[in-house]
Amino acid sequence: MPNALELTGIRKSFDGFAALTDAHFAARWGEVHALLGENGAGKSSLMNIAAGLYAPEAGQLLVDDNAVRFAGPRDAARQRIGMVHQHFKLVRPFTVAQNILLTAPPSAEFRSHGERLRDIARDIRNKASALGFDIDPMRRVDTLSIAEQQRVEILKVLLAGARILILDEPTAVLTDQEAARLLQTVQGLARGGAAVVLVTHKMADVKTYADRVTVMRGGRTVATLRPQDASVAELVKLTVGEAVAASAFRPAPSARGAVRLSVRGLRTPASPEGRRVLDGVDLVLHAGEIYGLAGVGGNGQGELAGAILGLPGEAVEGEIRLEGQGDLKTMAASARRGLGIAAIPADRYGLALAGGLSVAENYAIGRVHTGRYGPVWRLRRGRIQADTQEAVRAFDVQGVRSVAQKAALLSGGNAQKLVLAREFGKSPALVLAHSPSRGLDVRASAEVHARLRAARDGGAAVLLISEDLDEVLQLADRVGVMTRGRIAGEFAQPADRQAIGQAMVDHG
Amino acid sequence: MAEAALAPDTARGAAPHRAQPLARRRYALEIRQHMAWRWQALILAAALAAGFAISAAILVAAGVPADELANEFVTQTFLDGQNFRAVLFQAAPMILVGLAGSLAFRARFWNLGLEGQMIWGAIGATAVSIWQLGPEPLRLPLMFAAAIGCGLLWVLGPAWLKLRLGVNEIISTLMLNYMAANFLLHLVYGAWKDPKDSFPYSPQFRVFERLPELGAGIGSAILLAGIVALLAWWLVGVSRAGLYLRFVDANPRVAHANGVPVRRTIYGAVLLSGAMAGLAGFAVAAGQEGRLTQAFYQGYGFSGILIAFLARNNPLAATVVALLVAALFVTGRSLQVFYQVPFSMVQLIQAIIVVCVASSDFFIRHRLRRVGTETAP
Repeated sequence: MPNALELTGIRKSFDGFAALTDAHFAARWGEVHALLGENGAGKSSLMNIAAGLYAPEAGQLLVDDNAVRFAGPRDAARQRIGMVHQHFKLVRPFTVAQNILLTAPPSAEFRSHGERLRDIARDIRNKASALGFDIDPMRRVDTLSIAEQQRVEILKVLLAGARILILDEPTAVLTDQEAARLLQTVQGLARGGAAVVLVTHKMADVKTYADRVTVMRGGRTVATLRPQDASVAELVKLTVGEAVAASAFRPAPSARGAVRLSVRGLRTPASPEGRRVLDGVDLVLHAGEIYGLAGVGGNGQGELAGAILGLPGEAVEGEIRLEGQGDLKTMAASARRGLGIAAIPADRYGLALAGGLSVAENYAIGRVHTGRYGPVWRLRRGRIQADTQEAVRAFDVQGVRSVAQKAALLSGGNAQKLVLAREFGKSPALVLAHSPSRGLDVRASAEVHARLRAARDGGAAVLLISEDLDEVLQLADRVGVMTRGRIAGEFAQPADRQAIGQAMVDHG
Repeated sequence: MAEAALAPDTARGAAPHRAQPLARRRYALEIRQHMAWRWQALILAAALAAGFAISAAILVAAGVPADELANEFVTQTFLDGQNFRAVLFQAAPMILVGLAGSLAFRARFWNLGLEGQMIWGAIGATAVSIWQLGPEPLRLPLMFAAAIGCGLLWVLGPAWLKLRLGVNEIISTLMLNYMAANFLLHLVYGAWKDPKDSFPYSPQFRVFERLPELGAGIGSAILLAGIVALLAWWLVGVSRAGLYLRFVDANPRVAHANGVPVRRTIYGAVLLSGAMAGLAGFAVAAGQEGRLTQAFYQGYGFSGILIAFLARNNPLAATVVALLVAALFVTGRSLQVFYQVPFSMVQLIQAIIVVCVASSDFFIRHRLRRVGTETAP
């Protein structure tokens, strides 16, 4: 079978950091080819080169055995390569059809904008029904769920003519059922002759859906094999170099303590259609427990976290009572942070770290109001530096050449470790962790999980909001399911995975 | 061109680097995450050099002899005592508006109302003089306080409107300039007109109402500006508020989520900005003109923004830049006298340098990379 897409001897570095040193990859027509590796292994970089976003420093790119060069994604699209990124590239206030029109190749003869929009809408309906999707081309993208937005992305690249489809971590944000459905769809595309590249770090997806798998580690390709020829343990070993044991659920060592946080009847104002983002959330959190909040993204989890932290947003009704401190709603965000609330937000550079500022400044901001770094009129830079260096060592934040370097230069996992170092440096009373291991590799996730358990064992109440059901089941002492802005069900551990999955998709 | 880049390369494998004709080379624009400090300085220096070169060419074309340029700009301006005093005289209010701009911009507040706040600062100081408030030795401190208070109050409205109601401060501060300017005209053509000669300016301040000389012909306004610059440097560079400001500037949401009192930080920076602009008005009225005149503020708003921009909102750099801009003004006046070069040339040179420096940002934030080379350089 001929190779659809081949990359050989690829090298690429960013500001002196070698992301890819010697990467090889070849996908054939008609196969689902998984690209497996830890975070920072270079999977996304390699595929961004294939999609024309980055130019390699060395190496060759071949499509259908012909060497090609890309000056941008448009050149890649001409070679019928399309990529669906982990973070969707959609214009949120635009409709599905408008988004797809943006990237559609211009038509041969003149068509008015309205005509083209109608053509596109027709194409979307045809393609969607061929794939078994149900998408209304006239819906605005910001009213769609994450899974629906992903379908729009897939339709977008397919309608642009892509026959080589690259999906970057497509199942990271989906429920089990949605992920299975998506992977069956792309498998169907491959059976129809397309080449599908599945960038992932989920072993289960690889084992079930991939025809072949290429494993990358530290910027180079370590193996290409057929998934049925290797056990999960062997694949894990290839990706991380040494086997990291998957941690199973471990209950809290001691019985949970008193109530720490109680949320009652939390609701946001209704939209003109009568929908509320938060629609009466009731939640009780005890000291010394991890409460796992499962659910498909966009069901109010972010708003709940924002309401507890006091982020600017819609006014909420209801009560958020932190034991011994009264109603948090009456306090400014800065006052709440002073009460021992640690936050690990989902959006690392949108809420947790200021990428343009230094590692030291990002560390110091968590404790500067306690006066540890000097009085109001003087910052003690020496102490900030010393503390940061110590925290960076203690939490094993790698890639820090100097604490004066910008936080944006840290990789995802190390940026998260920096957040953990800051938030867990002072023993917190309440931990708010929102998708804390999103985009992290096995090793970094394991560390995050260990820190959350340690906080629980130290007596903190931990609210773990996650779209990854495996993570919730591994960590949580109790599991709640959030749908449509309320807690749709609560489960004691060990919980029935099927029942939780059902509660997540029951919209009622 | 696109086809050229996509043409199948038949020499597969370890193909040697082919010399490509210049016209067919292609480059990709990439965002640069980080650039070493030295390189940033070098690029900035190159941009300034380009700006100076273009300005010099224009001046030569306008009739200034090329060999006289260095003499006029450096020797005459900085080494001649008379002219250097003129530079310091001119620089005091420039430094103050530059600092005012820097501080507000650091809080992501586009204070385009520097002129309005300046006008109110001068009106406040003049009011103290006209109504003869307080005993003589306290008169000047009272004028100083009134200037600060009035400048601060004039920006309070836009700050409140922005933080409470989300009203765009670019519009509100800019429009309030016109209100301030017309109120100034109302005063100097009306109630505060000088009864001595009925010209549209206020009566002359008494001696103890003017900023005293330090000796050697240097006014105390420049000392005042220097002290304010040091205070501003301390605020943004040393104090805790400086760290808060950096977070608000970098990302207000991150700042908020990490417990930075975002609102208070913005209010503080913006009100101080207004106060400093008010002081600039005081420096002109009590340090230069000795009275309230009808057009003393003109051009300072633009200069303040420009100084803050060129100084990257750094207070100490703003002081240096303000001195250079003041030198440009002084030199411009002497060029006008000796070579009949119109004074608007000064604004042209300012604009050229700003455009050059603004363009240099592009090279700091981006990089050009050859596309499609097959071997590493």
